[in-house]
Amino acid sequence: MKNKVRLLLASGIASLALMSPAIADQMLRISYTDDPKSADVQMTTDYYTLPLNVYDRLIEAETTGPGTSALVPGLAESWEVSDDGLVYTFHLRQGVKFHDGAELTADDVVYTFDRMLNPETRALGTDILNFVAGAQDRLDGKADTVTGLNAIDKYTVQLTLSQPYAAFLALMASPQASIYNRAFTEAAGDQFGLTPETTNGTGPFILQSYELNDSQMLVANKDYFRGAPKLDRILIRVISDSETLRLLFETDEIDVFDMDYASSQTPYFYASDTWKDQIRSGPRVGMYYYHINQAIKPFDDVRVRKAFQMAINREQILEKNFYGKGQLENGVMPRGLSCYEPATPIEYNPAKAKELLAEAGYPDGVEITLAQVSSWSSKWSDMNQIIQAQAAEAGFTVKIKTMDEAAYFAQRKAGAIDAYTQSWSADFNDPDNFFYTFFSEPGTKVRAFNNMDQEVFDGIEKARSMTDPEARCALYRELGERIVQTDAAWVPLFSLDHSYVVQPRVKNFVVPWNGWSDMNYYKMEIAE
Amino acid sequence: MLMFAIRRILVSIPVLIGITAILFVMLNVIPGDPVALLMKEHASPEVIARVTAQMHLDDPLWTRYFRFLSGALQGDLGTSIKLNRSVTSLIMKAFPNTLYLAACAAVVSWIIGIPAGILSAVRRDSFIDRFFMGFSLLGVSMPIFWSALLMQYIFALKLKWLPVSGFYGFEYVIMPAIVLGWSSAGVIARLTRSSLLEVMRHDYIRTARAKGLREVGVISGHALKNALIPVVTIMAIQIASLLSGAVITEAIFGIPGVGRISINAIQARDMPLLQGSVLFATVLVILGNLVADILYSILDPRIRSQMGRGKP
Repeated sequence: MKNKVRLLLASGIASLALMSPAIADQMLRISYTDDPKSADVQMTTDYYTLPLNVYDRLIEAETTGPGTSALVPGLAESWEVSDDGLVYTFHLRQGVKFHDGAELTADDVVYTFDRMLNPETRALGTDILNFVAGAQDRLDGKADTVTGLNAIDKYTVQLTLSQPYAAFLALMASPQASIYNRAFTEAAGDQFGLTPETTNGTGPFILQSYELNDSQMLVANKDYFRGAPKLDRILIRVISDSETLRLLFETDEIDVFDMDYASSQTPYFYASDTWKDQIRSGPRVGMYYYHINQAIKPFDDVRVRKAFQMAINREQILEKNFYGKGQLENGVMPRGLSCYEPATPIEYNPAKAKELLAEAGYPDGVEITLAQVSSWSSKWSDMNQIIQAQAAEAGFTVKIKTMDEAAYFAQRKAGAIDAYTQSWSADFNDPDNFFYTFFSEPGTKVRAFNNMDQEVFDGIEKARSMTDPEARCALYRELGERIVQTDAAWVPLFSLDHSYVVQPRVKNFVVPWNGWSDMNYYKMEIAE
Repeated sequence: MLMFAIRRILVSIPVLIGITAILFVMLNVIPGDPVALLMKEHASPEVIARVTAQMHLDDPLWTRYFRFLSGALQGDLGTSIKLNRSVTSLIMKAFPNTLYLAACAAVVSWIIGIPAGILSAVRRDSFIDRFFMGFSLLGVSMPIFWSALLMQYIFALKLKWLPVSGFYGFEYVIMPAIVLGWSSAGVIARLTRSSLLEVMRHDYIRTARAKGLREVGVISGHALKNALIPVVTIMAIQIASLLSGAVITEAIFGIPGVGRISINAIQARDMPLLQGSVLFATVLVILGNLVADILYSILDPRIRSQMGRGKP
């Protein structure tokens, strides 16, 4: 009995809610496969559910329809950009309160971004501020302040860039740009975001409990500046086993089943009379692709890379493995991304691929290796096995090498990894998020593409600072064609829909514009 | 006895140092980069390099090892790279959960194992014997992930008697304790059976029977007392191993215990956290063995006299 009491106390409020399945108030119960580690968004590059609900950004990316978004005022009521594209002036909404009651001021914004660049913070998401003047000096410990960050008055903040950067506004709407309170966060020190007592934001929900590897509970911020959220509470449980997750969903202990966590369950839910009408689906602004490492033979030869592109029957993979829930992609940009236009199709032609291999000096075929991670979803290993069979027809002998995640990322960072398949979803709605990530000089190395095309590097750098939207989009499309058709640097596969199954009581469930699993739950409701 | 315990504890210090040193070298030999893992798909070469330097992860191996050792001696196991919290506090917070699970599992294994072993021995080669030995064989050989899923399916999804997963009260620990306890119950049942059969052959049992004692009296009064000595030893060691990480059980049933932490640490190449949890597990196993030895000596006077002579 003593143990039971202790356990109940230890698991806090979450326990009480869970022990009574008939939930009186508006509580949404969702899940995560892993512990988010912290609510401090500066210390993570994934796990965005807590930040998206506990904090606000100056600007928000609002989902306006399936796969589409618009930048709308957040903590900033309005903003101006100087003609030279260097100075961003944000006018803050007045009277916005943090969860601890403090009022938001321009100094909090300056503090937040300065904290991110402060080397003592050891922040991981500093890339979003790369273009702020003086950011590098602060990161390198050469300066105590950032020259480009200034509070003009109590409610006006100015960010000055070292060069124009067209995606900057979109970046300010990414979760990484969440705003903190100076006094509170300074006092919390390195404990910020680790417990409810050391977490403070302006967002629609307040972190109420945080049990590591078990759950987090959020409660409604009744004083939220846009009005109190409809939900009273959100329970986020950590459930690492996908089979357990499905059982929990079917026993009505979880409200939202994210099919990304268990894609093998897709046919079951689509065929189930109980669940098929409860599926909520939306396009993901993201791309599935095959990476090619040009530093590893035989992929140093463009003809082999082209042959590999042609040897893959993408339509078949989309149909068989993903139940046709998506569309083929041929460029660097997926549907839904700004500047997107369909690119020149990649032909599936094993016979021609064989000819190309012969031309490249491999008339009897060639051996290649695909890397995969043991702990990841089986969808990746399934895909590798299909490719193994498909590419054999074109003369590729495919070996599959399995490794653990740590080894995978270490090898990849060193540029030494074999070809792999992965996906990338937009963090912010701008082509830079794809082009710079994969094909800029640092990107192509750290992801082990090693596509050392100077023209592409220069083009990507140029596009970053272009201010004419049309010319900029045109340049991105040109670069996309060069990367896929001329360099044959990767194999774009498809963009998929993101599907969830929700309990009938969940209302207003909208798949976010980028198709992320992490979303803001402000507008969601639970039917009585 | 006290001297014996102190000596055993002193002997285990080099064991602890050896284990941490081996672990340190092993983790550095296998590929992996904790900072690249923190950033995963968002890896940026500049940020990885900067954060690695800030965390002193680029220091030479021996510098890091001695920093760990000197910290550990002062009770500071460092800060987890992935979870950004003190390793000591992480383990101390998770340990009660694991302890609770392990205690329940141990009770389950004794309740099933010991009577099953006794019945099997007494009714040797009968249907009961075969049934219990088959049952325990099943427990030992069935993988935990399989028995766990089976139980979840039957008792949670179909019968709705028990919750699927989580750790919010006694009902949540029933299934994991049975799954975990069943696998140890098999070992205990087999050991109890063979030990009892062995003891039943001794002269003093024949004497007891010859005195006219009933069979129940022979077994409970004479045979069991001696037959259970090896079983008690195994039980003490088994608790230690249950405590040092019911990794799979904790993952499937969502129990935030030490096993979950260890697996997190390995996957994330989180050296301080892994060092801490391995050190902790090692201490538990050493303590478990020590307790087993002490229990043994209490139960068996022959051992006690050997300890007194300094020959443990």
